[in-house]
Amino acid sequence: MLLGDRSKYLMLVGGLTFAALLMTQQCGVFIGLLSWTTSHMRNMRASIWVVDPKVEQINEIKAMRDTDVNRVRSVSAVAYAVPLYAGILQARVADGSFKPVQIIGLDATTLVGRPPRILAGRLEDLRLPNTVMIDELAVTRLSLDPKRPLRIGDSFEINDREARVIGICRTDRHFFGYPYVYTTYEQALQFAPPTRKMLSMVLAEPAAGFTAEQAARQIEGETHLKAYTEAEFSASTLRWFFRNTGIPASFGTTILLGFIVGVAIAGQTFYSFVLENLRHLGALKAMGASNALLGRMLLLQAFTVGLIGYGLGVGLTVLFGMVVMRTGQPPFLLPYQLPLATLVVILLICSLAALLGIRKIYKLEPAVVFRG
Amino acid sequence: MLFKKFSFYFAIAGMAGCIWLVLELRKTPPRPAPLQEPARSPYANTVAATGIIEAVRENVKIAAPKGGLIQKVHVQVGAHVNAGDPLLQLDDREMRASVKAMQAQLEAMQASLRSEKVLAADAADQFRRTDNLEKQKVASEDERTRKKFTVENMEARVAKTEADIQSAAAQVELARTNLEILTVRAPREGTILQLNVREGEYAGTTPTEPLMILGDTAHFQIRADVDEQNAPLVAPNEPAVAFLKGDTKNPIPLRFIRIEPFVVPKRSLTGDTAERVDTRVLQIIFELDRPQTPLYVGQQMDVFIQRPAGNQSAH
Repeated sequence: MLLGDRSKYLMLVGGLTFAALLMTQQCGVFIGLLSWTTSHMRNMRASIWVVDPKVEQINEIKAMRDTDVNRVRSVSAVAYAVPLYAGILQARVADGSFKPVQIIGLDATTLVGRPPRILAGRLEDLRLPNTVMIDELAVTRLSLDPKRPLRIGDSFEINDREARVIGICRTDRHFFGYPYVYTTYEQALQFAPPTRKMLSMVLAEPAAGFTAEQAARQIEGETHLKAYTEAEFSASTLRWFFRNTGIPASFGTTILLGFIVGVAIAGQTFYSFVLENLRHLGALKAMGASNALLGRMLLLQAFTVGLIGYGLGVGLTVLFGMVVMRTGQPPFLLPYQLPLATLVVILLICSLAALLGIRKIYKLEPAVVFRG
Repeated sequence: MLFKKFSFYFAIAGMAGCIWLVLELRKTPPRPAPLQEPARSPYANTVAATGIIEAVRENVKIAAPKGGLIQKVHVQVGAHVNAGDPLLQLDDREMRASVKAMQAQLEAMQASLRSEKVLAADAADQFRRTDNLEKQKVASEDERTRKKFTVENMEARVAKTEADIQSAAAQVELARTNLEILTVRAPREGTILQLNVREGEYAGTTPTEPLMILGDTAHFQIRADVDEQNAPLVAPNEPAVAFLKGDTKNPIPLRFIRIEPFVVPKRSLTGDTAERVDTRVLQIIFELDRPQTPLYVGQQMDVFIQRPAGNQSAH
């Protein structure tokens, strides 16, 4: 019946598609944006992150004393610990323009915290003087001519010091949109303006027989610094953004709007469809069809439309996601829970719409057919 | 009908695409292992420290005894010297000239001493003869007495000249010593670790950097810095190992020598001219046998010192 009515069908499927698209895509962008806040943790991997006791999130680091590395090393549950420098410095391109970059200084011997995906060059070359490894974003940001991008062997300036590119890596995008520039810890201290304390973080690994949590608690107990495991630091960073920014509220509104629009369009269209076909339904009822059978008929139609609308909406989200995967912009992430949740919500909308129709059918007098 | 068919297939494709995208976005690279195995403590309980290699019997900063132009540098960096070997020659032309002048004066005095001795001998001879004549009553007593005074006068003049010669000889000796001082010599056996002057430069008596550094490279010791907050954890006579920066495979065993009783401000090792002091450190001295890998004075090391069981953090 419903499939036969093209305009109603279009209207219903369109509304549900739109609702599914809005919810999945906006949630995806929201989760993607949140994941950018913890991009440091995917670009520098370590089991335990030791920071100043007052640090709550990874983008705001308070420096510690150099000797704190040795204090962390002195904890029994720690297999090894290495220093890390993280700071935002000004890079100067050959034409004189300035671009902020995120400098990461890795321990020169072990290069713990190195980027997982290297596209060109060898990371070991960082041990040469004045060398850096840059990410793809830095290549586009710091190149003078788009036709001639920055290559291995080219150089630019960081804080009036020469930085020679020895490799290009792929990183997850920084929350503030700064390119990542990796170098050794000692070299990073040369680039950075001198301050009293320079050590940003200590990356540690638990000793055999200890879990990361146990090691982190022991570090906190003995050094009175703050030690996070990867999961704890991510959670703490996300909590900070929920508490201190308006990002969750603004996205929540959009998602709610998608839901309301979906419910309004689907409910109204479905109800008017039931109203228009009341005569046919009445005829069926007069022929002896039970209320339950008619109800199931309506539910089946609603769910069919719902699933088609959902499939189209999610399909459009996938197209969006594919564009993102190619360009890295805007933020987007699709955990499996998200499409599942959208499916549940869409089916809920359809059930609501069907319920309105079913109520009408229950009240329907079969005699209405003959009043014509 | 066509449209409905399409919408149906598109919906199926959309859901399939969604599953693909979820799987694709879940792909995260695994955590990369350290490029080189990091330095690990071999002990269950450890105090970690940063060490720096220095020569046994701390390095000697060679200085000049007086300011002057450097005429010749006798050694090169890395040269082995014995105690007393010349290291530097300051400009000695003026001193040499003055030694020569003094020497000439001394020789002139010795010449005049000889002539005065002849005169004295002559006077003594005349007196002896006059004395004989006076006994035979040929010469007068007056004549004899005058001759005697002449002899005494001549003896006094010889004595004075002899004293003058001694003084001049002492002067020559002084000038020679001053000349000798201008050659800077090695106070003990060792190797030249650093050389900061070249011929023609001026060597001041209070230079900003030492003229050269002399040290013993046959035996090294390690000065390990422990954060003052970990100082209570350190016990004497505990074993320790050290790892060279960049070589974490070969631990170098260390033997405890002493704990420096004075806690000093930590010096930042970034090589910046403006030192940044952020904490104080307890220094512990260890000795080590030279390993196969070459070691150099001034190299940094990661040091792990065993902590006695039960020696817990003060917190």
